[in-house]
Amino acid sequence: MKAPFSEYLNSQVSGLRKLITILREKYDYVSVLSTDSRGLGISISQHSKTVSSETMTTERGTVVRVYKNGLYSEYSLNTFDPERPEAAAAEITAVMDAQFGLLKTCGTNVYETAKMTDESAELFVEKETEQLPETTDLSEIIDKLCAISDKGMSMSEYMLDCIVRAQSTHICKLFLTDNRYLRQSYVYSEGSVTSIVGRDGQNRFGYDSISGLGGPELFSQLEGKLDYAVSSALEMLDADRIVPGEYEIITSPEVTGLIAHEAFGHGVEMDMFVKGRALGAQYVDKRVGSDLVTMHEGALCAEDVTSYAFDDEGVLAGDVTEIDKGILKTGICDSLSALRLGTEPTGNGKRENFEHKVYTRMTNTIFDSGSDTLEDMIASVKFGYLLEGCQSGMEDPKHWGIQCIIQMGREIRDGKLTGKVVSPVIMTGYVPDLLGNISMASTDRCVYGSGGCGKGYKEWVKVTDGGPYLKTVGRLG
Amino acid sequence: MDRYIDIMRSCGADAWEITDTRTTGWEFYFIKHRLDQNRAKNVEHIKFKAYKMSDDGQFLGMASADVSPTDSDDDLRRTAAELVKRASLVKNKPYRLNQPADYVPVKTELKPLAEEAEAFIRTMESIDETDTEDLNSFELFIEQNERRLITSEGIDVTEKYPSATVDVVINARKDGHEIELYRLYELGSCDGKLLKHDIEELMQFGKDRLRAEPTPAVGQSPVVLSTDAALSVYEYFLDNMNAAFVLRGMSSFELGKEISDDYTGDRITLRTLRELEGSPVNTSSDIEGAPVFDAVLIENGVPVKYIGSRMFSQYMGLTDSFNVTNWAVSGGSMSADEIRTGSFLEIVEFSDFQVDGMTGDIFGEIRLAYYHDGKGNVTPVSGGSVSGSMLDNISDMKMSSETRRYVNAEIPAVTRLEHVTVAGA
Repeated sequence: MKAPFSEYLNSQVSGLRKLITILREKYDYVSVLSTDSRGLGISISQHSKTVSSETMTTERGTVVRVYKNGLYSEYSLNTFDPERPEAAAAEITAVMDAQFGLLKTCGTNVYETAKMTDESAELFVEKETEQLPETTDLSEIIDKLCAISDKGMSMSEYMLDCIVRAQSTHICKLFLTDNRYLRQSYVYSEGSVTSIVGRDGQNRFGYDSISGLGGPELFSQLEGKLDYAVSSALEMLDADRIVPGEYEIITSPEVTGLIAHEAFGHGVEMDMFVKGRALGAQYVDKRVGSDLVTMHEGALCAEDVTSYAFDDEGVLAGDVTEIDKGILKTGICDSLSALRLGTEPTGNGKRENFEHKVYTRMTNTIFDSGSDTLEDMIASVKFGYLLEGCQSGMEDPKHWGIQCIIQMGREIRDGKLTGKVVSPVIMTGYVPDLLGNISMASTDRCVYGSGGCGKGYKEWVKVTDGGPYLKTVGRLG
Repeated sequence: MDRYIDIMRSCGADAWEITDTRTTGWEFYFIKHRLDQNRAKNVEHIKFKAYKMSDDGQFLGMASADVSPTDSDDDLRRTAAELVKRASLVKNKPYRLNQPADYVPVKTELKPLAEEAEAFIRTMESIDETDTEDLNSFELFIEQNERRLITSEGIDVTEKYPSATVDVVINARKDGHEIELYRLYELGSCDGKLLKHDIEELMQFGKDRLRAEPTPAVGQSPVVLSTDAALSVYEYFLDNMNAAFVLRGMSSFELGKEISDDYTGDRITLRTLRELEGSPVNTSSDIEGAPVFDAVLIENGVPVKYIGSRMFSQYMGLTDSFNVTNWAVSGGSMSADEIRTGSFLEIVEFSDFQVDGMTGDIFGEIRLAYYHDGKGNVTPVSGGSVSGSMLDNISDMKMSSETRRYVNAEIPAVTRLEHVTVAGA
């Protein structure tokens, strides 16, 4: 079935058009993004169970962007009455004028930016889904998730809890200007199984996840994630600490994705170029990785949790080749940064929700596959680790530093897995070195979308990342 | 609010809660010292919670939904009815909702947004910059919040509080090489003195990072933390006193029993605070309507009181419990200078320092540290990482007698961990 576009948003269109008309008398450019995204969140553990309609991306509200004298300003509200657009216009104008007055008092100068073009476009997209989160019958789903948690508990005497989470969100967004009328509706879902184990005062946890474009029907995949979530946690109970040093490493697709995200995802967000915060600006058309490194970014690169049709500035979704055979080709860009840099936006202007500013943000960030098998890659390692599971990552685009917290490393000696496990593992290093040392890439590739991404420590949005198994050299601690 | 109450009263729930949160905010984004963008918001968020007891009284289910202030009464009735249906599918052991209490008002001052915003802008403009250290960009978020909780048990409590966030990136440069450092401040209202002092200190760190040498692979070494990274160390203790952690068996902290068998360092004293000057979460009640008060959780290294949410607290038989808002760790036995003795690595900037509350794992990439070789030599270093476990550090960690506030916590200004592995750059 098609995910139906929000009737609520359709009912707002006329009033929002009037709001734009009123505001255009005062401002040179006006755009409106209205959202109505409903969701479903279920969390099951042995000690508590919750059901809610909230997920990371549920929202209903409107953000108005206006432009005057080189400055873009925004107003977010969620009480817009389509019968009284003049009231909203008066509220917006009054607050903006108050802010301009303050800025004048403070002697603040404006970073002047050109007016956005407003090319005519009309788009109506309803993507396929089998179920909708807002109408799904929960009784069967809750029973199945409880059964997964119970089964997990029965798998080891060391289990402390088995937490199963499932979320589904029906995104509906409307973008309006004088000349643009864009509407999109799609459903994405995600879930995870986390097993917590404890023995002799030491706790560990294992984790596996699902994500994809589609409704709660995707939750049926969760049961298949239980075995790894439990077995990996138990392995970590017996893990040693790694001896810090530089090793040959093979990154699992999840770790590969984390590298893609932290290394060249944030590093080529071009709002960072505007601020002079990213080294990537100086490396366009230069080598940043080995010939085996090709990386794509864009909402069209994969069918997953952030595969929208247009971004939060009304720019159509794209597919950007950021790195082509080791050469950095371009970055990703929101509309205002594109105006400032004299380039084109790439459909990567995203907001945490209607209450937040747009930044250049990632969507799907993915390394291309190679031609090697995992078996051959392991066989090629003299002494090193196969790295699995991600906890977190942090970038430093100004220096291309990277920090990845990885769940565990499986020791490889003389081309064979020894069965020894180290955990946790912190991988650090200089991105061009890490990518420059990539010497093998597997034929298969996976994409992961169960996590979120912040800009610094805020502005959380959905992203996916992934790729194949990669062999390189990394500094582990 | 009346229409929400009427709808929840008549929806068939055995109990219900409504939380109505209104926020007005002004935001200013600067690149260098020029205004990149200004924003404002005026939003209202309403959350319905419906509770339903199973017919046999064995289970209590809860379901929640965010409803929109633009929803019609029919929309709201449909949502409430669906919540009751969903709650009946959720099987939790029964617990009671919080009852009305005497809430002790907190001292909060809600200044007009324009006045507060001006204070922040002028503070940022007063930062002392040099030819080689300056502000790259900063973002200011100033908000006024009003949260009202109404429940079927008779609670009707309103909290009004200001909050602010400052996101700062500074640059330092030397011989054509430029670096940046980042801070995110969460405050109640503008504390210009704190901001100015901290950002100017950050610029000094930037200057030092430019002359930093690669971090030596010193192996296991004492590490001193004197910036906000230390919060993570103390959050480990707070996590392990949380009822949800304890009930799940994830905490080994037992009431009345010393956390460590062989203390040789400072023993931690951890307490909750209803009010902390400058905190963005000074409220008289928590989000579930429980009164917030000062309470000692760990005293001289001995856990004395678990704390947490209503559900987990009741499962554990705890009384007088609540979701922690502000908290503090008492200063230790030594001054900051006394802690900084011998050979150690004082790390002031991480990429992202973490202490896992569940496992006790410590990790972080070093962006700037000062290596003290024990012979009076101090060298700025950068790169490499630290790893370790809180389990190995509790018995002999040291806390300075001086304390320092970050966000909603006051902690020792300087913390020393004796057993951390340092991987060199």
